[in-house]
Amino acid sequence: MFEKVLIANRGEIALRVARACREMGIKSVAIYSTADADSAAVRFADEAVHVGPHHPGKSYLHIPNIIGAAQKTGADAIHPGYGFLSEDPFFAEICSDNGITFIGPRPDVMEKVGDKAIARDLMQKAGLPLLPGTIEPVGTVDEAQEIAASIGYPLIIKAVAGGGGRGMNVVRRAEDLERLYTTTRSTAQAVFKDSAVYIERYLDAPRHTEVQLVCDGHGKGVYFYERDCSVQRRHQKLIEEAPSIHLSDEQRKDIGERAVAGALSVGYTGAGTMEFLLDHEGNLSFMEMNARIQVEHPVSEMVTSVDLIQEQIRVCAGEPLSVTQEDVLLRGHAIECRVNAEDPDRDFAPAAGRLDTYVPPGGPWTRVDSHCYPGWSIAPFYDSLIAKLIVWAPERGEAIERMDRALSEFQIEGRGVKTTIPFHRRVLADEVFRSGEVTTDFVEQFLSRETVAA
Amino acid sequence: MSDNENTHSNPDRELIESVWAEARDLVKRLEGSSVQRFAVAAGDYKIEIERGAPPAAAAPPPAEAPAGASGPIAPSAGPGLGVAPGARMASGVFTLGDMAQPDNRVPVLAPLVGTFYASGQPGAKPFVEIGSTVEPGQTVCIVEAMKMMNEVAAGEGGKVAEIVVENGEWVEFEQVLMYLEPADE
Repeated sequence: MFEKVLIANRGEIALRVARACREMGIKSVAIYSTADADSAAVRFADEAVHVGPHHPGKSYLHIPNIIGAAQKTGADAIHPGYGFLSEDPFFAEICSDNGITFIGPRPDVMEKVGDKAIARDLMQKAGLPLLPGTIEPVGTVDEAQEIAASIGYPLIIKAVAGGGGRGMNVVRRAEDLERLYTTTRSTAQAVFKDSAVYIERYLDAPRHTEVQLVCDGHGKGVYFYERDCSVQRRHQKLIEEAPSIHLSDEQRKDIGERAVAGALSVGYTGAGTMEFLLDHEGNLSFMEMNARIQVEHPVSEMVTSVDLIQEQIRVCAGEPLSVTQEDVLLRGHAIECRVNAEDPDRDFAPAAGRLDTYVPPGGPWTRVDSHCYPGWSIAPFYDSLIAKLIVWAPERGEAIERMDRALSEFQIEGRGVKTTIPFHRRVLADEVFRSGEVTTDFVEQFLSRETVAA
Repeated sequence: MSDNENTHSNPDRELIESVWAEARDLVKRLEGSSVQRFAVAAGDYKIEIERGAPPAAAAPPPAEAPAGASGPIAPSAGPGLGVAPGARMASGVFTLGDMAQPDNRVPVLAPLVGTFYASGQPGAKPFVEIGSTVEPGQTVCIVEAMKMMNEVAAGEGGKVAEIVVENGEWVEFEQVLMYLEPADE
C-alpha cells in the first residue's frame, strides 16, 4: 500500500481523496495554486505544497511543478482526481518515469481508451453493442455519403479527438451532409489538431446511462451498476441518479458484465466508467469510456455501500479488489444534485464570490461532498461547483422528497453569489422529472416549459 | 503624530499598540504573498495597509477573471508587500513613520517548484552574495526542476540583504529566496 499520495487536483475531489487516504492510514499531500492557499483540502491534508499561481496552466496542469512537489514530499503515488491531468497519458508516463505510481490505468491503455475510434473498435470486439456507424475514421465526403446511405438519418459526425459535446455535428438531411462533414473536419483540425472524424447513427432524446466499474491488476473486474445522467445542460451534467429505472435486472447484469469484459480486454486497471445511450426500445449503445473517477461517483457508492476511491487506490497499489461481484448488491435509489455558483435566471451565468453563509444540510442518508466553508471565496479561475448534494432512500420517490428537503435547508449566501439550488428544486417538483421519463433533452424542454408558463 | 494621539487614555494606548503590533506582524508574514491590502481592527481603531511599492511589470490578469471578482482581498501579482515610510493611515489613527521601522526590502520569489542553487554549477562561484549589487534583470540564482535549470532574475536592482534558503534546498512556488534592498536607498 502507498505511504504517501499526492493529490494533483483541487476543490471537492481533492478533499474526497484526502479523506479516503486518511481513512486508509495513507499520508496525503495537497497541491495548491495561490487562489487555493486556504482551501479545505490544504487544511485537511497532512502536507501541502504551493505549486503555482491561479492559472491552471501554471499550477494544476504544470507537470514539472507537480512532479517536483511529489519528489520533495516523497510521495509514492499521485491521484489525479477528475479533469486536469487525469486522462493525460503523457503525465501518467512522467509519473512512472519518476518512480511514482499514477492512480489510474497505464498510459498505453489510457491512450487507447481515450481515442474514440480505437475504443469503439476494441469494445465492439469485446462484445459491447454499438450504434450503427463507422469504426474507422471517415476519410472522404464520398465515404461519408456511402455510410449515410447504409445507416440512415439522423446521423452525427464526431471528432475522434473531441468529447463532452465538442466537435460534433448532427446531420438530419442528406443535403447537409457534405457541408457538415467538411465543417466538422476543419473545426476538429483547428481545435483538437486532429481532423479525424467518425460517423454514427444519432439518437434523438436518448437516456445517458453509464456503468461504473473497477478492475484490479489480477484480471478481475467488478461493476457497480449504472447511473442515469440525462439531466444535462450543454453536455454538463446537473443531476445524476443510480440506478436507472429503465433497465431490468437482466439488462443491468448483462451490460455490467459486458462493460467489465470490455475493460479487462484492453488491460484496464483502476476505476472507470463506460458510457452508453439507451434508446426508447431499451437498446444500449456504447459511446465512450472515461478512464478516471467521475464527479458523480457518490451515487454509485450510496446504492452499493462501497467506497470507490478507496477501491481505486487499493487496486492501483497492486492489491486485489476487496469485493467480488456477488458482494456488490444494488439497494435503494440515490440522487445527486450539483450545486453550482451560477444564476439559473440569467442563463446560468457564473455568479461566484465569497461565501458569507454556508450551512449544508444534514439528516438521514444526506451526504454533502464540498470544499466550501463560510468565508471561502469561489475563485473565477476554476469550475463553479460549490457542492455535490447526494441523498439515498429505498425508492426513487422518497429520494426525490429527501433531496428537496435537503436542498431547502442548504444555505449559501454571499455578495453576488447565486446558486442553482432553486433550479434543482423546480426540476424535482416537475411532473416529467418525477415520472422518470427523463432524456438528454429534458433540461432544454423544462426551461422552455418554464418560459412558456411565465 | 496625529492630533488625536494626546487625547488617548492608557487602555486605548494599549489597544492601539496591540493593533499596530498585529499589523506589523502581518506585514512581515504576508511578505512575498499576493495579498494587496489588509486591515486590522480592534475596538474603535483600524489600520488599513496597502502595498506601497508600485507594481513592477505586473502580470496580466488571467483571461477568466471577470471584473470585480472576489471580496476585499484581491489577488494580484507583484513584488513584495512594502509599507512606504511615512504613509498616512486611514482617518483617526497614526502615521506609520512614527511607529514602525519601515521594511522596504524586496523579496525574490521562486517562480516554480524545484531545488534552489546559489551558483550555475556545483563548485562554481555563487551568482550573488550578501552585499552584492544587482542590476534589474540580473540572474541571482537557479531553481532546478526535472533536470531543467531555470535562472531566476531580480526584478528590480538593489543590494542583496539576505539569502533565505540554502543551496540545494527544495522550494515551492513563490517561496522567498532572498531579499534585496532597493538601489536608491
